Amino acid sequence: MESKSILIDYTHRQAGHCESGATSNLFNFYGHKLSEPMAFGIGNGLYFSYIPFLKVQFAPMISFRNLPNTVFHRSAKNLGVDATVIKKFKDPNAAMLALDRNLEKGIPTGMQVGVFNLTFFPPEYRMHYNMHNLVCFGKEGNLYHISDTVMEHRHVLTYEDLMRVRYAKGPFAPNGKMYWINTIPKELDIKSAVITGIKKTVYEMIKVPFPLIGVKGLRWMARDLKKWPRKHGDAKAAFYLGQILRMNEDFGTGGAGFRYIYGAFLKESGELFNNPELLEASDMMGKTANKWREFTYIGARNCRGRSKPEEDYGMLGNMLNEIATMEENVYKKLDKIKL
Amino acid sequence: MSEENANIEQAENGLLYKYNREMFYHFDREKGYTREIDYQISENQTIIKQSWDAAEQRLEGVRQRIIAGRLSPIAYYMEKALMEVPILAAYMEMSKWRIRWHLTPKGFKNLKPEILEKYASVFGIPVEEMKHPNF
Repeated sequence: MESKSILIDYTHRQAGHCESGATSNLFNFYGHKLSEPMAFGIGNGLYFSYIPFLKVQFAPMISFRNLPNTVFHRSAKNLGVDATVIKKFKDPNAAMLALDRNLEKGIPTGMQVGVFNLTFFPPEYRMHYNMHNLVCFGKEGNLYHISDTVMEHRHVLTYEDLMRVRYAKGPFAPNGKMYWINTIPKELDIKSAVITGIKKTVYEMIKVPFPLIGVKGLRWMARDLKKWPRKHGDAKAAFYLGQILRMNEDFGTGGAGFRYIYGAFLKESGELFNNPELLEASDMMGKTANKWREFTYIGARNCRGRSKPEEDYGMLGNMLNEIATMEENVYKKLDKIKL
Repeated sequence: MSEENANIEQAENGLLYKYNREMFYHFDREKGYTREIDYQISENQTIIKQSWDAAEQRLEGVRQRIIAGRLSPIAYYMEKALMEVPILAAYMEMSKWRIRWHLTPKGFKNLKPEILEKYASVFGIPVEEMKHPNF
């Protein structure tokens, strides 16, 4: 291996969500000020699905995020940016070679990784979670410079460690997926991108004809939540509830965090296009997000063990239903807005 | 009850996880959207801890069953690495059924040395420890 060292002048900025942060940082590198909420909104970061028959970490699968790489791919597509996404490398060495070649050309490259073997990651998060994103922007001998938007500072990873996390196994295995921006037009058509982004999110949240996705999935989960203590016993019910909350607040984002980011996106675009209705929707979204956070607090207290779990779960279920209605109103409002 | 209160107090005074500060968004009607960088609040740290406690409990259960002679040491290391059979099967590039067979004491006894080595490398431990687990 040649020991040529490369360091691209890439600014690491911390962000609330790994992928939209990486996308925003990549756009910033090419001289376009795209904030994290903007990338998140245009790239349809907001999502909800509840799949009770699939178990992840011994509890039902609950996802507050879209499939990995949606944010980058869709924001690049909606903004008309020429970007490349390589979904899969069969050979790990080929994947690393492709990364090296990109770095030599001076292209900061985003990658999907699993966090279990990610050495610099907070130990409390190191589970088999494969939908994390980071950007590599330099190389020195055996070390790669990594910008991970969850972390406060930049970090380095060795060749072997990077290869291991890029080939983590399990659900949604990354298989060495990588993505980067080739060329970016001078003027970005933000307005049409925002319209497409909002339309798609509204579709995914209230219009998908399947009961476990979007607001409908939220209602379904609320209904199941009430049944858990009777069906599974208190200990398991508390663990399942913990799973909702972990998915909700882990990594500083999840449910509530995403709603804040989306609200910030609505506010930013409302100010950009002078649209009072968008600003109003943003306010509604902020209130929903606050409600989500309240839900987490109450649920966390419940996880510590209380006297009458059945009543508590009923209350939490009702709260989730309330949240679902609040969110539905936001999406219905967004659906009617004409930009 | 007093123990529970003590736990809550501990969680509120000293945070459990202080490795990294993250970015959080907040919303307020007057101030609008704000961002700040901080540690996870204690409520969230409690639920993160809940999942690690559950993992520890599962590990203890597996350990008991190995001592009782119903599971092989592979089950212990699998649980310790927070893996489930499908994940381990993907890392080992074997079928799930074969992994399940290796989880039984009988299947473990007849394991070929190279497969045992592969297990050891997946779990990141020396082969000797696989044969003579110390727990």
